[in-house]
Amino acid sequence: MTVTTAPARPAILQKPVSFAPWISTAILLALWELAGRQLSGTFVLASPSEVLRYLAEEWRMMARALAVTLGNAALGFVFGNLAAIALATLASVWPRTERVVAGLALLVFCLPLVATGPILRVLFGPGDGPQIVLAALAVYYTTLIPLLVGLRAAPATWFDLVRSYGRGRVSALVHVRAMAALPYLFTGLQIAAPAAFLGAMVGEFTGAERGMGVLTVRAIRALDVEMTWALATVATGVAILAYAVIGALARRVLKAPPPVILAAPAPAGARSSALQTGAIVTVLALLAWWGAIRVFDLNPFFAKGPGDVFAALILADDAAETRATLAGALGETLVFLLPGYIAGLLAGAGLAMLLVLMPILAGTAMPLAIALRSVPIVTTAPLVVLLLGRGATGTIVLVAVMVFFPTFVACLHGLRQAPGQIMDVLDSYAAGPVTRLIRVRIPAMLPAFFAAARMAVPASVLAVTVVEWLATGAGVGSLMALSASLSDYDMLWSAVVLVSALSALGYAAVGAVERRILTLYAPEQVA
Amino acid sequence: MQKTMNRRALIGGGAAAAGTLALGLAPRRLFAQTPVTLQLSWLHSAQFAGSYIAQDRGWWIEEGLEVALSQGGPNAPVEPPVVSGTALVGISAADYTAAAVEEGAPFKILGVAMQKNPFVIASLPDNPVNEPTDLVGKRIGMALANTPVLQALCALNDVDIDGIEIVPTQYSAQPLIAGEVDCLLCWETDLPVAMAMQGIDSVTMLMADFGYAVHSQTYIATEDSLANRRADLVALMRGEVRGWDAYREDTDAAAELTLQMYPDAGLDLETQKLQAARQVPLMFSELTDANGFGWWTEETVAANIETLGLLGRDVTPDLWDRSILEEVHGT
Amino acid sequence: MAPDPAMPAQIVCTGLGKTFGGGTEAVQALDLTLAAGQTTALVGPSGCGKSTLLRMIAGLEEPSFGTVTIGGAPPSETLRHAGLSVAFQDPSLLPWRSVRGNIELALRLARRPVDVAAVEALIALVGLDGFGDTKPAELSGGMRQRAAIARALATKPGLLLLDEPFGAVDELTRQQLAQDLPRIWEAQRTTTVLVTHSVSEAVLLSDRVIVLSPRPAQIVADIDIPLPRPRSPDMVRSDAGAGHIDAVFAALSESRAGSPPPMAAQ
Repeated sequence: MTVTTAPARPAILQKPVSFAPWISTAILLALWELAGRQLSGTFVLASPSEVLRYLAEEWRMMARALAVTLGNAALGFVFGNLAAIALATLASVWPRTERVVAGLALLVFCLPLVATGPILRVLFGPGDGPQIVLAALAVYYTTLIPLLVGLRAAPATWFDLVRSYGRGRVSALVHVRAMAALPYLFTGLQIAAPAAFLGAMVGEFTGAERGMGVLTVRAIRALDVEMTWALATVATGVAILAYAVIGALARRVLKAPPPVILAAPAPAGARSSALQTGAIVTVLALLAWWGAIRVFDLNPFFAKGPGDVFAALILADDAAETRATLAGALGETLVFLLPGYIAGLLAGAGLAMLLVLMPILAGTAMPLAIALRSVPIVTTAPLVVLLLGRGATGTIVLVAVMVFFPTFVACLHGLRQAPGQIMDVLDSYAAGPVTRLIRVRIPAMLPAFFAAARMAVPASVLAVTVVEWLATGAGVGSLMALSASLSDYDMLWSAVVLVSALSALGYAAVGAVERRILTLYAPEQVA
Repeated sequence: MQKTMNRRALIGGGAAAAGTLALGLAPRRLFAQTPVTLQLSWLHSAQFAGSYIAQDRGWWIEEGLEVALSQGGPNAPVEPPVVSGTALVGISAADYTAAAVEEGAPFKILGVAMQKNPFVIASLPDNPVNEPTDLVGKRIGMALANTPVLQALCALNDVDIDGIEIVPTQYSAQPLIAGEVDCLLCWETDLPVAMAMQGIDSVTMLMADFGYAVHSQTYIATEDSLANRRADLVALMRGEVRGWDAYREDTDAAAELTLQMYPDAGLDLETQKLQAARQVPLMFSELTDANGFGWWTEETVAANIETLGLLGRDVTPDLWDRSILEEVHGT
Repeated sequence: MAPDPAMPAQIVCTGLGKTFGGGTEAVQALDLTLAAGQTTALVGPSGCGKSTLLRMIAGLEEPSFGTVTIGGAPPSETLRHAGLSVAFQDPSLLPWRSVRGNIELALRLARRPVDVAAVEALIALVGLDGFGDTKPAELSGGMRQRAAIARALATKPGLLLLDEPFGAVDELTRQQLAQDLPRIWEAQRTTTVLVTHSVSEAVLLSDRVIVLSPRPAQIVADIDIPLPRPRSPDMVRSDAGAGHIDAVFAALSESRAGSPPPMAAQ
């Protein structure tokens, strides 16, 4: 496997002080202010000046809410990342477990927030437990995956060196892997920081006393447009700040920018071993599920085990009806999910290519996109729906936006990975920028594109279910929320199982497409 | 850690409760307060101000209870904590309670805070919906999940639901103001209040006035609690009754107390005052004037059973258990 | 029974063979005995399996057939006591450690005490005076290889395995190293195995040159180099030296021409 290391190229990462992002931010703010004034009285958009006025009046309350949410997000960030480091260490010291660890981790990451929230609330009772756990769940996977890559991101001879002095895997981990993985760890942490904040906010929807999430719910219900936009602004600011702070920390520690890569190409293995891993992961997941209900002695009214779900979907008298309801809801969701997912991927890759042809714009767009990909979806979902309506457009756009930013960042990075020597050869043939794009840059971009495409599967499922739940009231997201409020826990757990399994399968399917296409266009990436 | 702490608190509470039970009617005040949780159905607001008054004035402490008011939220169902015993009592509604019972939850309704269901059809004055027949030909904004509610209203009033255009919307007054819909299915105490605070007049048609009889903000507890923790239940409900009676006397003060107790909830005083005032007619009636807060009769239960039937919920009168309330009101 | 890790040891390969997963035969039925304290060069065409042979001796690669013993025990024994050092083709310096840090890491991995003065002497020996605190990224390719050689010497191993360690070193430094290194080996009585492309280098450094056939590697010629030590490039250019070089070249071109000839001793 080829490991994408940080090249010296992305100058914007090395020189964080550049005027371009400030200019684009200023333009954006001006447009926002204009739109806000145009739309005043429609209860859709608050202008920056109105947001500022609101913040000036209510900053004390906002600061207290922010402190609570940040505190929980920070704890979740720590626990989630420690879990990721522990899992990655296990996989590194005991390589045979890697595929199973990664598979189980993916499955847990695919659990829909809408459903895990209430379950965690019951487990923890009142307090900060669910907020912290959801924050941890939101971060551990995005740290684990780069870390697994990073722990392997060293030439084989470094490990030979350790072995040649008679030392084993633990020494390799301590002396080689740990340091080699550091840039990747920082990449993970950078993405994790905004994600932890989002997780903590969603956790607050489960009945927390205070925090930014609680205020968001309140603001939307009360038609308080200033408050809604003020919350979104603060949450966005915090997310961007967290991203920037970790980036700065990384630059200080590493003296080089962290790699922007999101995930390694799926390890190419024989189909049988992939199936075997899938089977082991499924069995372990079922055991853990069954075991957790017993260990925590959860009440069977709401804690449904694998047997209950099997009964509800296959054996029960109304099993056909349950299946039909689920299939209907999943169908509704897919109608929004697939176009949004594909549109987001195409837009991300397309814009990245366009910007490579027009490098002046790239310096402006890249930092903005990096920043915007950390905006928490729970605050944007209601805003996008306010602006674009509850029809298909709003949902599709939101899913596309969730997919767009990470894809764009990854693709732009990938396009810049094109090996300089090959570019020089093309230069010597006076090849134009388009030829260079097609012949060299796009093949070089493919691994990053697919890494983004895979990570976008759970992200888009999260986006679509959150929008359905908070805004449109359609599809499987709404079905899960409704099942919880109507105590139809058989349905809820069945939906959780299906959504998680389908997300994980979607992830695997993208991995399969990736292997096929990389074999054709960039075989060195698969080897 | 959180978990074990809760476990410990629970065990402690159980032990204390067992202690009082063992001593029968020994004076409770000599013992440590029994911690119990009341699970609210939504975020803190004047909607639960009666409970805040009881808390603030120490009426539960007098009863030997240390009550924690656990707020709900968009992703916080009430039923699981009550089933699991984390909460002694939850604030639910007859339709949700009926659904939970169908799924095997051993619930009883102990009291009814909202005699009249708060569902309304809200519209703007120049295109009003004053009675169910006005709905024909209109676009109504609502969550699709609430379709059975509209179906029930139509069935009760012989209105053809096919004549109404249902537009799925998020729970917000914005589509009505923007003219995307002609009316909204919402609560009397939230979206119309939000509109009023923005200076927008609205017309509300209370569905309860047109036969939609579903008890709301109902107190639920498990059969097990009813059998084994009666004293705690009576104490809790006694505080509630006192709190809500005090609330009725001065809703403005209740709204102020809400903000004072929950300064971080992002509440607006004027909004809370208006909400507090508007929910009074839903909670108090001739029936409660005659028998006390939370009361119901065989007739109101029968009406509920009929409406619930239209909502697809098959329930029997024994879902309601008035024994706690009778003890509280001394009848 | 544990062999002294610092003691030179005889290496015996018996029927040694390596077949990789894809069916590629890298080394075939190879019998070879390397005397303790001697320096042996392995030369052969590119990709003939020299490095594989070296890695099997180092215990980094499991043989598919046959055995390797170092002082009568399998290589894993030597590894366990950190009794050998390998200088890889790629210098494999850890980029986050300075030159000194990389050398000290080898001592720490080998569980040897870090003798600061000895480390400084090694740095000076390979001509990196004043670069002890420099990170590998700031060194030239040749300087990195020299740092790697210093690291390999740091543990004073009984067996030193060098895989084309002078590939990127400039000609002058290479000559200097070629004069200095054998002195260290002699002082430490190290058994040294050197893989190289350069015939003159092989002759300059070794007591014996093994010429290998194209893949799968088999022994084509086994040539003793009885030149006196210390040697100098001039000696290699002398008649005696030139004769050895010619012999190695002849064996190499023969091996390339066709089927491996019978073992030809010079």
